[in-house]
Amino acid sequence: MLKSSSITFTYDGVNKFNFPDIQLQKGENLLVLGESGVGKTTLIQILAGLLKSDSGKVEFCNTDYNKLSTKEMDQFRGKHIGMIFQKPHFVRNLNILDNLLLSLYLSKNRQDKNLAIQLLKEIGLGNKLKSKPNHLSQGEQQRAAIALSVIKSPDLILADEPTSSLDDANCQKIIALLKDQAKKTASQLIIITHDNRLKSQFNKSITL
Amino acid sequence: MNINRLAWVNIISNPFNTILSLLLMTFGVGIISILLLLNDHIEQQFQNNLKGIDMVVGAKGSPLQLILSSIYHIDNPTGNISYKEADKLTKNPMVDFTIPLSYGDSYNGFRIVGTTSEYLELYKANLSAGKIWEQSMQVVIGSLVAETNQLKIGDNFYGTHGLNNDGHVHDENTYKVVGILKKSNSTIDKLIITDIVSVWEIHNGQIDENHSDHQHHHKHNDNNHKHHDRIDKISTNDLYSSDEFMITCMLVKFKSPVGLIKLPREVNETTNLQAAIPIFEINRLTNLLGFGVQTINLIALIIILVAGLSIFISLYNSLKKRRYELALIRVHGATKWQLIKLVFLEGLTLSFLGTIFGLIISRLILFITPILANQIQIMNSFGFGVITDELWLFLIALFIGLLASLIPSILTYKINIPKILSNE
Repeated sequence: MLKSSSITFTYDGVNKFNFPDIQLQKGENLLVLGESGVGKTTLIQILAGLLKSDSGKVEFCNTDYNKLSTKEMDQFRGKHIGMIFQKPHFVRNLNILDNLLLSLYLSKNRQDKNLAIQLLKEIGLGNKLKSKPNHLSQGEQQRAAIALSVIKSPDLILADEPTSSLDDANCQKIIALLKDQAKKTASQLIIITHDNRLKSQFNKSITL
Repeated sequence: MNINRLAWVNIISNPFNTILSLLLMTFGVGIISILLLLNDHIEQQFQNNLKGIDMVVGAKGSPLQLILSSIYHIDNPTGNISYKEADKLTKNPMVDFTIPLSYGDSYNGFRIVGTTSEYLELYKANLSAGKIWEQSMQVVIGSLVAETNQLKIGDNFYGTHGLNNDGHVHDENTYKVVGILKKSNSTIDKLIITDIVSVWEIHNGQIDENHSDHQHHHKHNDNNHKHHDRIDKISTNDLYSSDEFMITCMLVKFKSPVGLIKLPREVNETTNLQAAIPIFEINRLTNLLGFGVQTINLIALIIILVAGLSIFISLYNSLKKRRYELALIRVHGATKWQLIKLVFLEGLTLSFLGTIFGLIISRLILFITPILANQIQIMNSFGFGVITDELWLFLIALFIGLLASLIPSILTYKINIPKILSNE
């Protein structure tokens, strides 16, 4: 379970972000809504352990982020957290399959090729295994990015504006896919977005 | 999939930069390696052939020329000297032994050297077939001479006056091969060695040694043979004490290094002869060569540095393009050190491969060039093992690769992931 309390963060000492506390039980998903400039990306980076909050506490899987060194945080994140970005990103010199295997390697999981192929087939990329990321269409890239984050069966998937550049039809598909995959790997899902189309899809949501 | 493979994939995904860096590194290392191998080979050849000769006495002229012609047989002789005068040295208490040499003729470019059997002992030359000469006009030939000219025991040939093929052919006298020497990787491989009397005989007249098998009809109108009319028949013993007996030079070995201090000066100041110290002249020569070698080395080193720069630029550029990618790898759980390993691996692999290619190419070139130049004989004595200086070259090249990766890896270490992820 995830628990954050009284997190604050400031970039320049002038604009101070005060984030609401989050408590997420196992099996729960969360939608975080907010307009531009309210610190959505900042919050997701703090939850991912990429940024250290000025004050407050994040606890996930019984681990207090404040007590981890940079290296331990890297490894903790590799093992427990999958991330999805607004624009999908890959290691451009590796094909899609190798990108998935690299993710498994870095998170110290067994590099199960069959598992990766199975997953890519499930999300409709079975014929793109050996394709380089930049040869994929935008929609395919977004799906591959989801595969990249769920391949290691993380405990938490953090998605930053995963649908903002998609049309309504694709938006529904991607969210359905994301929820479906999260369920299969027993991951909790936190989506941070300004996209109000998603509101109806989640039981639990907070607004920044 | 792991960091090593990722580094390799990154290298081969960028073929133009990779090829440029590799080519520069290969050329730089290759040039230096060729020079090192040649230098090593030449020095070894010079040292091998000294055989403990402390001093050479010959006609006045360039001391370097005297040494090159008498020990290495790669230059023209400085002139003739009187045997009688040179032989006075033999009786000097500081002298261990002397060996007279007489040369100036050749066969198909291989020099004919008249000397005594001590010359063969000096080079520890062993016969692979036949025996040593027992009388004049019999020769023992070096392995290379036998191989190149297809000469066998019992074969006859004429000598040519001078060291080129275009000289006057001494077709009145035939040399007969009586022995072939084993290959020794020294000058002696390319020499035709005979009794010192033979060489004198060809140019001056026949010695009376009662050998009936050697019919001599010496008719000549050559100016070189001006002594002929005066001494036509002379016994060997008389010859050695005769004022007319000329040789080209005399190799001298001292009993102790003290001779080195006194004798050369004495010879140069009190006689018509010139004394030259091989080790001095060879050092002088290698210093002269060394200057050229150093200049080319410097140029090649600059090429290696440019190769390092090329590796640096290609790493730095790809790093700028891949900033987001590196951040992504960190997000996936890679530590900072894994990213640094990735950058160093890319740089070091390039410089390592370039160095290996350079070392291989230098050997290929040294292997192919003599074949192209139709001088396979040079090859035979070339060693293709890695020499000590090349180990240094290897380390320097790797160090430059390391240096080229240093700044990119520092930038990688300092990468600000949140900032990169926010400013996509």
